[in-house]
Amino acid sequence: MLSVDINSVSILDEEKRRTILNDINFEIEKGKVYTILGKNGSGKSTLIKSLTALLPKIEYEVKGEVFFNETDLLNCSEDELREIRKHNISYVFQDAANSFDPLKKIKYYFDLSNISPLKIEELLLFFLLPTYKKLSGLHSYELSGGMAQRLLIVLALLANPDILILDEPTSGVDYAVMNLILLKIKNFTRDNDKSVLIATQDINFALKSSDHIAYLSEGNLTRFYNPDEFLNSTDDKMKNFIHSFKEISNASA
Amino acid sequence: MPLLKVENISYSVVVNEESKKQFDILKKVSFEVESSEILGVCGESGGGKSTLAKVIAGLIKPDSGKITLNSKSNNKKSSPIQILFQNHGEVLNPYRKISSVVDEVLVINRIDKKYIAKGRENILSSVGFPKELYDRRGYQLSGGEQQRAALARLLATNPVLLILDEPFSAQDVESQLNLVKLFRKLNEEFHLTMICISHDLKILRNLTNRVIILKDGEIVESGETSEVFSNPKKSYTRFLLSAEALDLTYDEIQASSNQ
Repeated sequence: MLSVDINSVSILDEEKRRTILNDINFEIEKGKVYTILGKNGSGKSTLIKSLTALLPKIEYEVKGEVFFNETDLLNCSEDELREIRKHNISYVFQDAANSFDPLKKIKYYFDLSNISPLKIEELLLFFLLPTYKKLSGLHSYELSGGMAQRLLIVLALLANPDILILDEPTSGVDYAVMNLILLKIKNFTRDNDKSVLIATQDINFALKSSDHIAYLSEGNLTRFYNPDEFLNSTDDKMKNFIHSFKEISNASA
Repeated sequence: MPLLKVENISYSVVVNEESKKQFDILKKVSFEVESSEILGVCGESGGGKSTLAKVIAGLIKPDSGKITLNSKSNNKKSSPIQILFQNHGEVLNPYRKISSVVDEVLVINRIDKKYIAKGRENILSSVGFPKELYDRRGYQLSGGEQQRAALARLLATNPVLLILDEPFSAQDVESQLNLVKLFRKLNEEFHLTMICISHDLKILRNLTNRVIILKDGEIVESGETSEVFSNPKKSYTRFLLSAEALDLTYDEIQASSNQ
C-alpha cells in the first residue's frame, strides 16, 4: 500500500548540509502494525514526516520516492497531497495539545469530519472522553494533555484512513490509556485493509502492539523483524538497546 | 528511629470558589522512611504522588499532619531534603559552566577554598559526569548530561534525603537503566536515603526496597517491593500490574475509570 524508497533526508543550514537519514526502504502492507523503534533524537519523527512531504521544503531536502498506491507523494501536487492526507494517511503527533487551534472550539473539528455525532460519541465513549455535547463547547486549552491526545486519535480515526501514523503514542499517557490505544490499534487493523505505523522509543509497547519492528539509529533503519526475531536479533546497532530492555525487565520476573 | 516520619498528612484544594467545594489530594497519609533505604511511591497520574513529594520537601504546607526528619544536619544554607524533578536538566542555567554551577553550592556552604576543586571532582565523578565536560555550559550538553549535572548540584548540598520525582519518564530503556544503576551506586556508596516517585513499575522493581501504592490520595498497599509486586493483596495493585503488562481488557479499563 505504501512503498518507501528514500535516498536521503538532509537539513539545509546556511553554512552546511547535514544528512540525517540515509537509504530508508520499506513497504507497508494492509492489515499490519509497523513500529519504527529508536532512541530520543534518532530521527523517528523526521522520518514519518518525510513520508507525506510534511517537512518544510525551506529547511529540509528529501530525495527519493514514496508511493502510496500509484501516487508518488514526494512528486505530486499540493492538492493531491492534501486529499491523501485528508482521506488516506492520518497522523497523530506527539505534541497533541499544540495540534489544535486554540481559538476554535472542539465542535469545529467534529464538524470538519462530516461524521454523525452518534458515531463520534461511540469513539469518545471508547476512549473514556467526555460526551460529544460537553467536548463540543470546549477549547483545546481546556483539555488535559492526556485528553487532547486521546481526542486527536479519535479525530484521526474519524477520517477512516488507510494508514494511521502515531508518533510516540505512549509518552505522557498512563497505563490505562496505553491499554486503550493498544486495543484500538488491534481493532483498527483487524479487518485487514488498514495499517498502523508507530514511531516510538517504548520497546514494551512495540513488542505488544506490532507485527513488524525496525530499529532506527544514526540515520539508518534496519529491516523489519517480527517481535520475537527482533528480541533475539544480534544486529550490533540495536544490541545495547535490547540488552538494556532485557536487563531492566528481568528484575521484574 | 526512622529517618523520616510522615503522620496523617492531608492536603486539599478549593475547586469551586463559590461553593467552597474541596478536592482532597492527600487523605491522612502516614508512612516512615528508614535511613539509607530507597522507598518507592507508585500510582497513576492524579493519585497525589507529586503533591506528596512537595509536602515532604516543605514546598507546600499540608492542611494537617506532621512530618519529622531525624537528622543532625545543621546546614542552614540549603534544605536537607532535595527533589530531582522530571526535567531537572532544564533547570540549569544554559550559559554557565558546570564547574561553576557546582562550585557555587560549595562556596555557599562555606567549604574551604582549597578543598573546592577536590569537592567538585568528587561530586561530579560520583554521578558519572565526565571530567572533559566540566567547562562546558548547560546548552552544550545532552539531556542526560544535563540531568547528571543538575543531580550533582543537588548532591553538593549534602542532602539527608533525596526525592526523585519521575526522573525516568520520557527516556528510552538504555538511559533508564543507566540512571537506575547510578542511583543504586549512590545508595550503596554514600548510604543516601531516597524516595522514588514513579508510575513505572519496572523502575520501582529495579531500584526500591519498599514501595507504597497511592490511589486517590490514600495508601492502598505497602510492603517490600518484591513481595507487593509478586504477591499483591489489593485489587488496585493487581490492576496496575496487568496494566503494565498491557493485558487489560476493555471492561477492566472501563471499570477502573468509573471508580
